[in-house]
Amino acid sequence: MKLLKDLWDIFVIEVRRVLHDKGVVLIFFIATLIYPLIFGAIYKNEMVRNVPVAVVDESRSEASRRFIHKLDATPEMNVMYHCTTMAEARRLMQQRRINGIVLFPHDYGYRLASKETARVCLFCDMSSFLYYRSVLSGASAVLVDEMEQVQLERYALAGITGEGADDLVQPIPYDDVKLYSPAGGFTSFLVPALLVLVIHQTLFLGIGILFGTTREERQTMRVIPPHLRNEGRPRVVMGRALAYMCLYLPVVAVDLVLMPRLFGLPHIGSLGTLCLFLLPFMLATTFFCMTICSYVRERDTGIVTCIFFSVVLLFLSGAVWPACNMPRFWRIFSYLFPSTHGIQGYIRINTMGATLQQVKFEYLMLWLQTALYFATSCLCLRAAKKLRIG
Amino acid sequence: MKAFYSSLRRELHRIRYEGQSRYLILTTLGVVFCYVFFLTLMEEGQPQRLPIAIVDEDGSYLSRRLCHEINATQGVRVVAVYGSHAEARRAMQRQEIYAFLEIPEGTYDELLSFTRPHIVLYSNNAYLLSGALSYRSLATISKLASGAVEREVLRKKGYGERQIMGLIQPIELDSHLISNPTANYQPYVLTTMLPGMLGLMVLLLTVYMVGKERKSGTLAEWLGQQPYAALLGKMAPYTLWFAVLGVVGNMVLFGWCHFELHGSFGWVVLFTLLLVLAMQATGVFLAGMIAEPHLATCFAAIYGTLAFTMAGFSYPVSSMPPALQALSQLFPLRHYYKAVSGVSLFGCGMDICWVQVCGLLLFWIAGVIGLWRLVSDVRIKK
Repeated sequence: MKLLKDLWDIFVIEVRRVLHDKGVVLIFFIATLIYPLIFGAIYKNEMVRNVPVAVVDESRSEASRRFIHKLDATPEMNVMYHCTTMAEARRLMQQRRINGIVLFPHDYGYRLASKETARVCLFCDMSSFLYYRSVLSGASAVLVDEMEQVQLERYALAGITGEGADDLVQPIPYDDVKLYSPAGGFTSFLVPALLVLVIHQTLFLGIGILFGTTREERQTMRVIPPHLRNEGRPRVVMGRALAYMCLYLPVVAVDLVLMPRLFGLPHIGSLGTLCLFLLPFMLATTFFCMTICSYVRERDTGIVTCIFFSVVLLFLSGAVWPACNMPRFWRIFSYLFPSTHGIQGYIRINTMGATLQQVKFEYLMLWLQTALYFATSCLCLRAAKKLRIG
Repeated sequence: MKAFYSSLRRELHRIRYEGQSRYLILTTLGVVFCYVFFLTLMEEGQPQRLPIAIVDEDGSYLSRRLCHEINATQGVRVVAVYGSHAEARRAMQRQEIYAFLEIPEGTYDELLSFTRPHIVLYSNNAYLLSGALSYRSLATISKLASGAVEREVLRKKGYGERQIMGLIQPIELDSHLISNPTANYQPYVLTTMLPGMLGLMVLLLTVYMVGKERKSGTLAEWLGQQPYAALLGKMAPYTLWFAVLGVVGNMVLFGWCHFELHGSFGWVVLFTLLLVLAMQATGVFLAGMIAEPHLATCFAAIYGTLAFTMAGFSYPVSSMPPALQALSQLFPLRHYYKAVSGVSLFGCGMDICWVQVCGLLLFWIAGVIGLWRLVSDVRIKK
């Protein structure tokens, strides 16, 4: 009973502290809502469509004109300029009016007519890889279509027609199935990772501000009831964690469950699995933040550290750069952060419909982190106490 | 001039004796960490040898041959051969593979009897980069396999090699990736992101420092009679330090790492300096407009992290909703990215990049407004 009473006392104190700090309320309840909405708005269009390109048609043949028409008809590209020379197109590229150039050499039509291999040159703007991706996929789609047409014509001239020609053009046809996000949109790929990161980082920021403020005002011990200052450290840590978790319950529900549905992101995972997975994630994150934030001496230092690590953590998570291609050192380093496992697990459960069994490694790691960071946050509280007395 | 020097002396004293140097050292360490981290993390340039699998229901010569061919490519490697589709799907959910190629039963027989067997490529689009890269490798192999069969048949029909080439590939696409022929991720991401990290540090430090003056009630003492000179004096040591840091960073990227640089390095240096100044001006603006120092830092943090998205190097600004396209102009990193990618990738000079120079200079107005606000706050207090 005493345990429950202590927990409840700490819980109430902590909730009150959170709600009395304008900065923390801003971070906990406003930022967590604003960030996902902003990201949703920014990446609303998912794909890069209608990339402006210029065409330099030196061959001026029927075949090249047909090719250009088809390019313009693709969803990816928009033929904005017809240039007479490459220099002109290059100038447009420098001015950023276009993101790609398609050049038909002067012998394009001639080579096609004489049954040789004709060449189309594509110049891609590499300042953003999404431009490059769109331009290349648009041009490739037209190329495949155009090739098939020319091939059939040539086979017909060689006396092979009908199904025989079809069989020859593509003897082993392939279908492609893009799993989990058929359109390959940017939003469905990045936003789930960002949602988890927002939870992780806002929690860090909020706890950092709370701890930093008490430390700045030399109140670290005073906010703990007297009888718990010596022996009750695990209770203090547990009570506080309970408070943060309860405050975050609606936030997590909105960000990780409601937002994917609101933005139409893939969400094929089972809700039960997700909840089971999020429990150790939230626990590990809370204890992790409490451990690190014990070292935050001032309010603002916490903010700077947190912000600094946001981008680093995103790259460490393996959502952007594949984990198997990271140097071993960074991979092991990434295991220290709950966000790494949280992001991996969330993407796999929510986007890919994995079961708990299939995210076993992440799940166990999160429980391990929970235990580890619980112990360290108890120890850090003690260290803080010593420092205070000293 | 005198006010400038006295403010400068005051700041140097604070750096030296009052522990301000701690923040300078911390932010510098942060920036250095970012350089080391990102340069080593993406060492490969483009992810290579991504794990994929084959679902081999055929168990024929063809499937084994395909497996060999796939392993010979740089992009992917076959880590497992499964007997059924379900197994491969489970492996994908366990994140062991990024794609798999399914060869149904009877593929080889159908090929021999010319009834066009279908193979299926599955790729994981939840991980855009790895999924797209492994898909591309597998698609290339499938096309090559088709081409190989086609060539074999045509040879048997008695066509010459040149004729065969004309029949198999009537048109070839010759793609030139301007200034980044290997589609290396490092120059693409890092030339903007690392200076962006520097800019973020400058912003947070500026907001923090001005906020500290406000908190400790020394605004009047600092600004004195000539606020402009006082502001410049306070900022000067940091401007210098971060500009040097930025230029050294650029030297690492374009010199040591040999990232492509078509234009002049001088322009890159200029833009780095302008970025640092613009970030400082924005910092003064935020610290001036938001009276509560803590709130100002929170706000700077939110604004600062959004800059990476709004710069538009990962997701182009032109694909954002129109309102956000306009808002992107409010982020100095956006102008920096446009200018530096222009200089480095396309060799642009000032005839084109002057727009971005103006863009970055305009942030000074925000700084001046922030300063006015600070001055008026001092007056009200008096």
